Amino acid sequence: MLQLNRRNFLKSAAATALLAGTGLPTLAQGEKLKVGVIHMGAISDTGWEYFQAQAWRALEAEFPDQVEVTVLENIAQIQDCERLFRQLSTQGHQLIFGTTFSQYASLKKLAPTLPNSHFECCAGIDAGDNLGVFEGKHHEGTYLTGIAAGRMTKSHVLGWVGAFPVPQVIYSLNAFLLGARSVNPDVVLKVVWANAWVDPAKEKDAVAALVAQGADVISGSPNTPVQGLAAEEKGVWSIGSTGDFSAYVKTKQLVSFELDWSAAHIEAAKGVLAGTWEPTNRWRGLGEGGFVKMTTSSPELPADVAAEMATAEAAIIAGTLNPFAGPIKDQAGVEKVAAGAVLPDEEIKGMTWLVEGVQGTLPGA
Amino acid sequence: MSQFLPILFATLIAGTPLVYAALGELITERAGVLNMGVEGMMVTGAVVAFAVALTTGNLWLGVLAAMVAAGILSLLFSVLAITFRANQVAVGLAMTIFGTSLGSYLGKPFVGMALVLDASQAAGGFAQLPLVGPLFSAIHPLVWLSWGLFAAVWFFLSRTRAGLALRAVGESPTSAHAIGYPVVRIRYLATLFGGAMAGVAGAYMSTVYASLWTEGLIAGRGWIAVALVVFATWRPERCFAGAYLFGGATMAQLFAQSAGIGVPSELMSALPYLATIVVLVLISRDAALMRLSVPASLGKPFDPQG
Repeated sequence: MLQLNRRNFLKSAAATALLAGTGLPTLAQGEKLKVGVIHMGAISDTGWEYFQAQAWRALEAEFPDQVEVTVLENIAQIQDCERLFRQLSTQGHQLIFGTTFSQYASLKKLAPTLPNSHFECCAGIDAGDNLGVFEGKHHEGTYLTGIAAGRMTKSHVLGWVGAFPVPQVIYSLNAFLLGARSVNPDVVLKVVWANAWVDPAKEKDAVAALVAQGADVISGSPNTPVQGLAAEEKGVWSIGSTGDFSAYVKTKQLVSFELDWSAAHIEAAKGVLAGTWEPTNRWRGLGEGGFVKMTTSSPELPADVAAEMATAEAAIIAGTLNPFAGPIKDQAGVEKVAAGAVLPDEEIKGMTWLVEGVQGTLPGA
Repeated sequence: MSQFLPILFATLIAGTPLVYAALGELITERAGVLNMGVEGMMVTGAVVAFAVALTTGNLWLGVLAAMVAAGILSLLFSVLAITFRANQVAVGLAMTIFGTSLGSYLGKPFVGMALVLDASQAAGGFAQLPLVGPLFSAIHPLVWLSWGLFAAVWFFLSRTRAGLALRAVGESPTSAHAIGYPVVRIRYLATLFGGAMAGVAGAYMSTVYASLWTEGLIAGRGWIAVALVVFATWRPERCFAGAYLFGGATMAQLFAQSAGIGVPSELMSALPYLATIVVLVLISRDAALMRLSVPASLGKPFDPQG
């Protein structure tokens, strides 16, 4: 326990002044980098927070002797998060991760007042002086799983259980249908919004409703194994969207992709350790160092479909295939992307319209 | 018709946890005790039932364990709120926070595990009965047991001496005490029953409804149960109907969305709450009658020495 007396206070004040003079602090030789992570939900949610946790676990494994990770989970209130971000920073955590978009707004405000720490937030709009943001191109994953769904559907009806109609979810489901239509133009996608990030029982009901409407491949955004288990119970395929649930969904998970944030965590820690950290805005999909990774497929997935997915994956990585390449029409049949054009990243990130063939509504639409 | 059968089945499935939790809370409140801890008791019940059913492979052991676990929480509630006469609302809220956190803690090792129980096995010998046998195997036993619970609660409250004593305690504990009823013991029993039923509701959520445990599984259904009791004006038959109305509206909105009916989904999500409130308010719109139906001593502590 550091005793707060005049001498110590003056010493630390002088040290702070010195640090402030030289910009962001660097580590002394042999000192461990203290990393802080705040989860708004429980790490054990098997979904979003779980994959966030996998990232700092990878970080610990990468630098077992150089980093020390402090994890706070289940901090549901954003006000508590703000207090704890401050606390972590004043305790000397030089690298601090936010795990949700909700925390981004707080960090945008807090980061300038806490110049001794480097902040990284998963999901965010733009970077600040000591705040970097990173997010995955979910649509590259859903486009590929859409190919599998389009090939495997017999009813030509796919189902999507959405959490909330935010752009991230909207572009994911749009790309899912575009992927499916790239191999099967007759496919339609029915959408049901749960209007909850976590309500497993409701997700199960939503799957039942979609199956009753004829959907025979189910995907979605609230990523717990519930949807897959519910689909399996109904005897239809499910897709592990942003999470591989084959450990739970034993027989009917068709294909899956995961969000893997390890690269973001490891790169940030490397940067801070070397003193070369830069605030950046990373939006990455498939490929080496990317945030989207294709994972297990069902043994029942035909080899030619798997090959088709692999070809598309290679083309996306090579940059020759863009899921949002025109011509694309919206639900009303209005052309949104002309033939030969691709939708700019900014418009994908802010997407508020559904592509032709989606059966469902958006708020205010 | 083929459209409505799945909705009907889904309604039964979605309404059942509310039937258990709300009928349990109704008995508790009719004895004059306001237990706001239902949500927490459901969470704890859900975890315990899941853990026990998963390790033993027996659904009924899980349900029993959930009743015991939630019963212990309600016993704790009773000691504080009935014996020590602490503020019932405050203790109830504390129970919700405690029960929810306890559930998350106990549930850690079980997250994401899937429970596979054969529903027809759960029905046991009933499935062999002539005529009604197939019905018993098609509908989960916990669903039709909830109908039995409703009948029992209704009969108990309106046709038995013990039920009359319970209502007397809820209306005027001093009078009940004066004519020799053990007010404190009756309140304990009523609260324990409410807790145990919240446990069954939680058990149903984790073992039958979702067949898994994750945080957020109960998602406020305990609060819905508490609200249902109020809107049902403390009448078991309205409570029962309200639970299915809520379940049905929830399902109907999901089906309507997937059928592509063009109504904003946020409005659809609010529909179950709106429909339940509107209907129950309409059937109990007589203000004078409404005042009469509130158990007069609800939420007020009783001191047998005072």
